[in-house]
Amino acid sequence: MPGEVDTADYADVWVFIEQHDGEAAKVSWELLAKGRELADEKGERLVALVMGESVTHLAEEAIERGADEVLVAEDPIFEPYLPGPYGEQFRYLVEERHPDVVLIGGSHTGRDFAGRVAVPTYAGLTADCTELDIEPDTGLLLAKRPTFGGDAMATIKCVEHRPQMATVRPGVFDAAEPDPDREGTITEVEVVVDESHQHSRMIERVVGDITDITDANVVVAGGYGTEGDFGPIEDLAAALGGEVAATREAVEEGWIEAARQVGQTGKTVKPDLYIACGISGAIQHLEGMNDSKTIVAINDDPNAPIFDDADYGIVGDLFEVCPALTELIEQKRGETA
Amino acid sequence: MSQEWNIVVCVKQVPDADDVSIDPDTGTLNRSDAEAVLNQPDYNAVESALQLREAVGGTVTAVTMGPPFATAVLQEAVALGADDGVLLTDRAFGGSDTWPTSLALASIAEELDADVVICGEESTDSSTGQVPPGIAAHNDWSQLTYVEELEPNPEENELIAVRDIEGGHEKVAASLPVVVAVGFGLNEPRIAGLHRKIYAETEFEPQEYSASDLGIEESVGLAASPTSVGGMATADPVERKRKLVEDVETLFEELESAGAI
Ligand SMILES: Cc1cc2nc3c(=O)[nH]c(=O)nc-3n(C[C@H](O)[C@H](O)[C@H](O)COP(=O)(O)OP(=O)(O)OC[C@H]3O[C@@H](n4cnc5c(N)ncnc54)[C@H](O)[C@@H]3O)c2cc1C
Repeated sequence: MPGEVDTADYADVWVFIEQHDGEAAKVSWELLAKGRELADEKGERLVALVMGESVTHLAEEAIERGADEVLVAEDPIFEPYLPGPYGEQFRYLVEERHPDVVLIGGSHTGRDFAGRVAVPTYAGLTADCTELDIEPDTGLLLAKRPTFGGDAMATIKCVEHRPQMATVRPGVFDAAEPDPDREGTITEVEVVVDESHQHSRMIERVVGDITDITDANVVVAGGYGTEGDFGPIEDLAAALGGEVAATREAVEEGWIEAARQVGQTGKTVKPDLYIACGISGAIQHLEGMNDSKTIVAINDDPNAPIFDDADYGIVGDLFEVCPALTELIEQKRGETA
Repeated sequence: MSQEWNIVVCVKQVPDADDVSIDPDTGTLNRSDAEAVLNQPDYNAVESALQLREAVGGTVTAVTMGPPFATAVLQEAVALGADDGVLLTDRAFGGSDTWPTSLALASIAEELDADVVICGEESTDSSTGQVPPGIAAHNDWSQLTYVEELEPNPEENELIAVRDIEGGHEKVAASLPVVVAVGFGLNEPRIAGLHRKIYAETEFEPQEYSASDLGIEESVGLAASPTSVGGMATADPVERKRKLVEDVETLFEELESAGAI
């Protein structure tokens, strides 16, 4: 049985660079910035891992963004992502090179993949972390994650097994700017997978048909209070150059697509401005919006819990408040233009 | 090639999220007075399993791991239409994190000769979402997570799924045996019929398995779990200004002076 490891044999912080069609997921750069901090604290190296075909540009960018070394597994089998080949290659690299900490984006791809790594290597995996620290005395990774719909924060440790793995959702950490003068090494690694590891095949992959709300600077979200009319929400979002989002309630009613749902079972957003319209403020919804810089609540019920979690609140009918705000923004913009 | 499928659906008993409170003195979760219910996303999993059985034929077996009273969620699944239920129950399972939990479920899936294992996307209490890929990895089976649409292709012995991904979707065909994690809200779960309900509550008895029945007693439980909880704290509420404004004009000015617009 695997699992008995000498933890002293394990060193370095690894970050998985998730890429699709040669484009890196932003969360990977966010993790690289956080990984740099953790590696410095541990006095170890930061290693980025890239799998795919024609991905040298990503390896170079990983160095510019903080990696000391980039391991590149280059092969057509890694295009597009499938859990079988990715998991098997990663397992091999972990067993060969013994990383102490492995960070993976908490995207749907990353969370699909993380279990495929953690199981065969008998690693400790903490999913969906929102904070990562190093315990000063032990050097252990302290992986913190919300639990019970965000009511509590649990700190998870992995004392005896390696690597210590964590997934982190997009938008939790800030990416560092690339520094073209940074130096590092790029290492081509042996590819150990073939078709027998595939198990599944991609029929089609369509990206770009749905907006990624996790990237937006302004998010205007509507809830059950919209009664299905998202017009005022869309207009306000357009005036602010932002994206429309929604609660689970609005998604379940079929008023808006699931990809725009914010919350525990939806996306985590981190905009500068989040405007919650006709949203009561359930804990599962708050979990996805709490990282927003400024929160505005528009609700006609003065006792709605959302007001406790907002910077600015206005008690009123969203069908009056939103259009008025939209008009004001357009008017002021017109004046300064 | 077409044949009937052994469909296993994994269900979990969780404290009703609305009932869980935090002890303000100790900062620990108080789950004891929370009513135990079927994990909500698992309703979608059960419904998917039943629809799959309707499409290809075969049986649906609900599986749960937990103390004897977790039988309640098996009864719920059987009332909804599952043919049978299996309870993995043993003190040895206590304290299992996702690694041993997915091992136990992977072992029973193998024991039941499953073609398809269907799970909810995540559980409402721990919400790691890591058990479904864990089951697939333990058995080296294929996996489909974040599934928004599911279609059997029995001629090719595969399941075709549309998966939700950031900014879009992908359509993937996975060979059997396969582990599926269905998205919360993917379908409209049916309501249990009265006869089925009575059967589930009066006649139905789950098959029980212990860790040693599955030959995994050394590999489950707290000692076999790579992770441990190093502390629990009430989430720091984000400090908000909580400023109520009277009119839209004031709101605009506040936002402008705060640099938010
Ligand atoms: C396992 C689980 C996971 C979940 N995950 C999520 C998740 O990811 N995201 C999520 O959002 N929810 C999630 N939920 C659901 C969550 O608990 C709430 O039910 C949901 O967030 C409520 O949505 P709402 O605020 O739009 O609706 P409601 O709670 O119905 O609130 C509507 C609000 O609109 C106000 N209103 C009505 N009319 C107007 C008007 N004309 N003008 C202004 N205000 C008006 C009302 O006063 C009320 O406050 C989850 C639940 C569970 C059990």
